[in-house]
Amino acid sequence: MAVTERRRKRPARRQPKLPANVAQGIAAATCSLLGSAAAAPVLAQEPPSWKLDTALLYYGEADARVQDLSLNVLARRLYTDDRTLSLGLVVDALTGASPTGAIPQDEVQTFTRPSGEAVYSVAPGELPLDDTFRDTRYAITASWEQPLGRLYTGSAGISFSTEYDYTHAGADFHLSRDFNKRNTTLSVGAALARDELDPVGGAPLPFAPMTDLGDLSSRGSGSESKDVIDLLLGVTQVINENFVVQVNYSLSDSSGYLNDPYKILSVVDPVSGAGTPRAPAAGAEGPLHEYRFESRPDTRTKHSLFAQGKYYLDGRVLDVSWRYMTDDWGIDSQTVDTRLLWPVGERSSLEPHVRFYTQTEADFYRASLVAGEPLPAFASADYRLGDFDAITAGVRYSRRLDSGNELALRLEYYRQDGDVPPEQLIGNQTSEALYPGLDAVIFEVSYAFGF
Amino acid sequence: MPGRGALSLVRREGCWLGEFTAMASPCQVLSKADRAAARRQLEAAAAEAWRIEAKFSRYRDGNVVARINAADGGPVAVDDETAGLLDFAAELYRLSGGRFDITSGVLREVWTFDGSDRLPAPSDVRRVLTRVGWNKVRWERPLLTLAPGMQIDLGGIGKEYAVDRAAALAAAISQAPCLVNFGGDLAAVGEIAEHAPWRVGIEALDAAGEACRRIDLARGGLATSGDSRRFLLKNGIRYGHVLDPRTGWPVTGAPRSVTVAADTCSEAGMLATFALLMGGDAEIFLSRQSVRYWALR
Amino acid sequence: MKRQYRPYLLALATLVAGSGCTSLGVEPWERDVLAKQEMQLVTAPLDAAINDHIYFSKEASSGGRGFGGGGCGCN
Repeated sequence: MAVTERRRKRPARRQPKLPANVAQGIAAATCSLLGSAAAAPVLAQEPPSWKLDTALLYYGEADARVQDLSLNVLARRLYTDDRTLSLGLVVDALTGASPTGAIPQDEVQTFTRPSGEAVYSVAPGELPLDDTFRDTRYAITASWEQPLGRLYTGSAGISFSTEYDYTHAGADFHLSRDFNKRNTTLSVGAALARDELDPVGGAPLPFAPMTDLGDLSSRGSGSESKDVIDLLLGVTQVINENFVVQVNYSLSDSSGYLNDPYKILSVVDPVSGAGTPRAPAAGAEGPLHEYRFESRPDTRTKHSLFAQGKYYLDGRVLDVSWRYMTDDWGIDSQTVDTRLLWPVGERSSLEPHVRFYTQTEADFYRASLVAGEPLPAFASADYRLGDFDAITAGVRYSRRLDSGNELALRLEYYRQDGDVPPEQLIGNQTSEALYPGLDAVIFEVSYAFGF
Repeated sequence: MPGRGALSLVRREGCWLGEFTAMASPCQVLSKADRAAARRQLEAAAAEAWRIEAKFSRYRDGNVVARINAADGGPVAVDDETAGLLDFAAELYRLSGGRFDITSGVLREVWTFDGSDRLPAPSDVRRVLTRVGWNKVRWERPLLTLAPGMQIDLGGIGKEYAVDRAAALAAAISQAPCLVNFGGDLAAVGEIAEHAPWRVGIEALDAAGEACRRIDLARGGLATSGDSRRFLLKNGIRYGHVLDPRTGWPVTGAPRSVTVAADTCSEAGMLATFALLMGGDAEIFLSRQSVRYWALR
Repeated sequence: MKRQYRPYLLALATLVAGSGCTSLGVEPWERDVLAKQEMQLVTAPLDAAINDHIYFSKEASSGGRGFGGGGCGCN
């Protein structure tokens, strides 16, 4: 309404001649009128337009392995008509060391660092660990979600992360539609990502040998990249007043440089299973045994089927989910995740959580390479591609504070147990020595508030 | 909305929604009590709203207001409830410096806010103004004597009063959270659901029905005064329908709509009305009073 | 909605309906429990993202529920 309003010409504006505290006068008059004792104070405010979730996470593995400390922030701003802006920030500081894929041996082992500028040694019988990756990673995400018409909701987002040897940039889209009085929702989504790796010392050539200090003949030049496309189809269905389920199918296709540039394989004697000795060049420092950098295929296609159910019973919520994954690297995995939210009093809740995970090894996973044999097409000794079971168990305690904000603490234990298939053991090698396993603690403090 | 005299009670997400029509407004009672208690709260609120409407509406014959307005200079004895409202009106007249005046209703004889450009002649306004002014009224409880030709109109306080009375009755029936809403004037009573307050929307000015501001009301009263719908427009100047009883002309520079949150609906309603009567100083007035308000211009 | 796409959407809806989904569900006013914060499919998005990242770094599978926020050079 573009209408102007002009003050009528009149004498200089009088100052409002009202008693100092009109509101108190009105309150007193109202008390007399309504005949009640002073009414309880009003509680009215605008809902917070910003909701902030923050969390500080500590992840620590036993035996001087990886330790991670991260700060996570998710800010959401709700606009009218259910439109939402989400902004996320993660700062992740990694320290410690992780297995390189080389196996323990009865002799001292010496390795050249990925940078090619130093060597490090490992005592006999110790699992070789490398700490080159210790670094701080920064990641940001931004997304916008809004209804499109009465039954559709759409969202679009971008993500970006950077660490000293790795950069990621991605975009994702979602569309969902409600049916059947909003009891059924179908959704589709797609995500694209382009990651660039710039490993210290340059990306190693596949199966190239680990060389002496200063010798970069095994390194390619410059950086490598990887493209990932994800597609998702999902159905959410309300079963009854207390029960809702979701089923998703997703497809993920990666192509490009899929190796881990810091992972190697030990080359061993076909009879004893011990490492093949090697002498560094005259006057140089370098590995005392033979190692080769790993080589993975340059494409990977994963299919996943995910199902989740949430069931409400008497104030408690049971959440059970199952995921099956299979890919063209020969890995099959199943995940079963269960949580029970148990309210305690008016303001707190406890949520015990158990997760089971099992995966089969990749076709090209092997604990070590055999000297004298022709190289396989692909090989990796990365324990994360091996055959293992994992269990997570823990509890989350959350409490709503006087201010309405929520504080939560989570403590969980994560354990991986795997083995090397007997047919891959060579000579005197034993599965226990070869397969690292993993023991970790997860501790998180989170705080959610609005303003 | 059910027709006159009818009640409807349906289940909505998390509460019972009772509806009826009263005081020419859609009325609602939202209750988190069980069905039976919610039904009793609805019946009590509706009965109270209809009772107050019948007793104090200037459109009804034979009620106390009709007798007062027909008294033609003679004294009228009123009951306790009416006396309470008259005391309230008198105090508001004093607190507002004469800007709030229940005798100002006769000005509608010369002002018709139909969106046209027909302003009254200043002489007509002056003529009617002689019959306006609480200072010309003799109020000695329980006798009220108006000067001949004067009229009282309790429309400015009746609805919020009805909301508070209905809310008190509902609170006596059940302690569960309950929200009474008579045409946009609200009172929330009962236990405080501090983390599940009532979500109220203030209507946007241009698109009726589309809430443009959300307010979480856990307890207390919320009332809105506005003049976005009834006005006159002449030579590009907009004349809102809120009249200043001291001059007989519309208040200038007032916000289109003022919403106030206070301990009771009556209090909130009067603060919102006072703010509009302050015209361009509405926001200054409200911020000096340290009340929670939302003003739309 | 373009007319040419309608048949596909209808077919999809029929598929959904035909699979028996129309017999499941609740009326809008029966959504008291489903509307609760703790009954949402993802109650704590930050925790979910943190977990996804941990398991992405330590296992060979990822996602399923949705997309991960982004890749990393997790070793």
